[in-house]
Amino acid sequence: MLKRLLNINNSVLWAIAVLSIIVPFFLPNRYFQDIAVLTFLWAGLSSSWNLYSGYCGRLSIGHAAFLGIGAYSSTILYVNYGISPWIGMIVGGLFSALAALVIGGTTLRLKGTFFVLSTVAFAEILKTFAIVSKDLTAGSLGMMIPYNPGFANMIFQGKIPFAIITWAYMMLVIILCVRLEKSKLGYSLIAVGENQEAAENLGVNSTRVMLISYVMSAVLTSIGGTLFAQYIMFIEPMSLMSVGYSVNFILYAIAGGMGTAFGPMVGAFILVPVTNLLRGYLSFISGLHGFVLGMLLIIILLFRPDGILPQLKGFVRKLMNRNKNNEEKGE
Amino acid sequence: MEQVFQVFVSGLLSGGIYALASVGLALIFGIAGLVNFAHGEYLMLAMYFAFWMYGIFSLDPYQSALINLALMAILGYLTYKFIMERVLDSSHSIQMLLTLGLSMVLQNLALMLWKADYRNTRIAMTTSTLDLGPLHLSTARVLAFVVAIAASVALYYFLHKTYTGAAMRAVAQNGKAAQLMGINLKKTYALTFIIGITLVGLAGLLITPIYPAFPTAGAPYGILCFIVVVIGGLSSIPGAIFGGLLIGLIESFAGYFIGPAFQQAAYFLLFILVLIFKPSGLFGKG
Repeated sequence: MLKRLLNINNSVLWAIAVLSIIVPFFLPNRYFQDIAVLTFLWAGLSSSWNLYSGYCGRLSIGHAAFLGIGAYSSTILYVNYGISPWIGMIVGGLFSALAALVIGGTTLRLKGTFFVLSTVAFAEILKTFAIVSKDLTAGSLGMMIPYNPGFANMIFQGKIPFAIITWAYMMLVIILCVRLEKSKLGYSLIAVGENQEAAENLGVNSTRVMLISYVMSAVLTSIGGTLFAQYIMFIEPMSLMSVGYSVNFILYAIAGGMGTAFGPMVGAFILVPVTNLLRGYLSFISGLHGFVLGMLLIIILLFRPDGILPQLKGFVRKLMNRNKNNEEKGE
Repeated sequence: MEQVFQVFVSGLLSGGIYALASVGLALIFGIAGLVNFAHGEYLMLAMYFAFWMYGIFSLDPYQSALINLALMAILGYLTYKFIMERVLDSSHSIQMLLTLGLSMVLQNLALMLWKADYRNTRIAMTTSTLDLGPLHLSTARVLAFVVAIAASVALYYFLHKTYTGAAMRAVAQNGKAAQLMGINLKKTYALTFIIGITLVGLAGLLITPIYPAFPTAGAPYGILCFIVVVIGGLSSIPGAIFGGLLIGLIESFAGYFIGPAFQQAAYFLLFILVLIFKPSGLFGKG
């Protein structure tokens, strides 16, 4: 019974995910459409983070590094060599996979705070390289992508094409997460996260499981990085690869529910519009949106550490039970 | 050669401040086992407080030090009471995210209250120098170094020569056993947290005459302190002091010989190497 109800809830979430693509078409202007694009993009990025850190319970505060690798790979190839960002996206993914293999190979055996700090350290080192390699990345001046609309250039006139692309990206990551949950890899990953020794005793190769999902998470983040660069059309290492950006990945996942396929999406769907509207309409109070986000994080962790998704599910379940009871009484 | 010596001394002086800020975290993280990602933000708050005391009452950071430290102690207690005490038994991940949220709140609160402007506290000592032979040293920096090292050493003796200090170390070794020996666990945690925050506050007020105060002024220190504490061997106070000095030197030499952009990357690299080859820290046991 419970299982059936949970499935109903999941189908509600599937419906929200799929139907959300309609929203940008009904938004009145570019400002709101811009928020929709950012919401899809962050939902995808946060879900990518969730694929490793959420299911395994080991927090990476260095995912901005992969965002940066994706953004810089495609932008350098496009701006300097005229290669289509679609190809750049794949190249970026390969670079990120390589970086994730190196970083993961050295740090995944670390636990708790040590792992977290090592992800920060790697991200900072990569940021330094982006700043220092001036010939390649233009350093802290940043790189502008010339406006030259066309599908091959992944540059579009309106916001709608990007809404579709970022939505597709979000769907791709969510589908992968749902599939992961039902796969042997996913079960092993969750088991390693809960108790590594026990999982190993049951024959799980924990290093392999963690490394595979970490690389997947990095590649997906990197794809998001390319989309991000093509959408904003300007990248600069100091903000793009900062700890602050890395924290965003986590924030939406925590708010919605870490280690659930739809949690990061729910978190992003609520928080990205709220913070952007706060920033838009109350811009005279600088810092307000960050303050609100931080407060939300504290409140959620102190009172609802599993995020709001289980809460929503419980709420839906209660509603359905009440309906069912009423029906039974009616009979 | 003279220049290299100047670089060395300059690194050592910064290292003293890193040591003091890190000793505070060594107490909180190494001894009490609480993760505090908002550590640097208290340094920033102490800087602002020192700045405003100078701006409004013309009290320089040293004259307002006692009020400043008392305020930091109160802030430390409030943070412990309303946030940390609720998550004493939670995983480090929860503590980490919680204090990450706290750091966002404090940074953005500072931004809302005092804007993003750089606030310089220019007292006489900011520009005066001590001339020791060929060396020209900023008086404020030398004073900061001396006070920082003195405070760190005093903390070491407090931990090793007093009953309360022994209680803190006992809690660090085994909380339950310590409790059975009649040590009040929560009080000890609270005290550890308060002392840790007060020390990072002291570091903040000491650098106020040298560096400007701004909302993210403390952010680099937060991560840096963790690195120092891990390099130093977690619960070792001398380890944190030497770790702080080492990071100061590395930063200074990397900046001089390779380039200013590499200052941070250099100690992050050292940190990763330590994690890989000697996870117990350079000065840790085993």
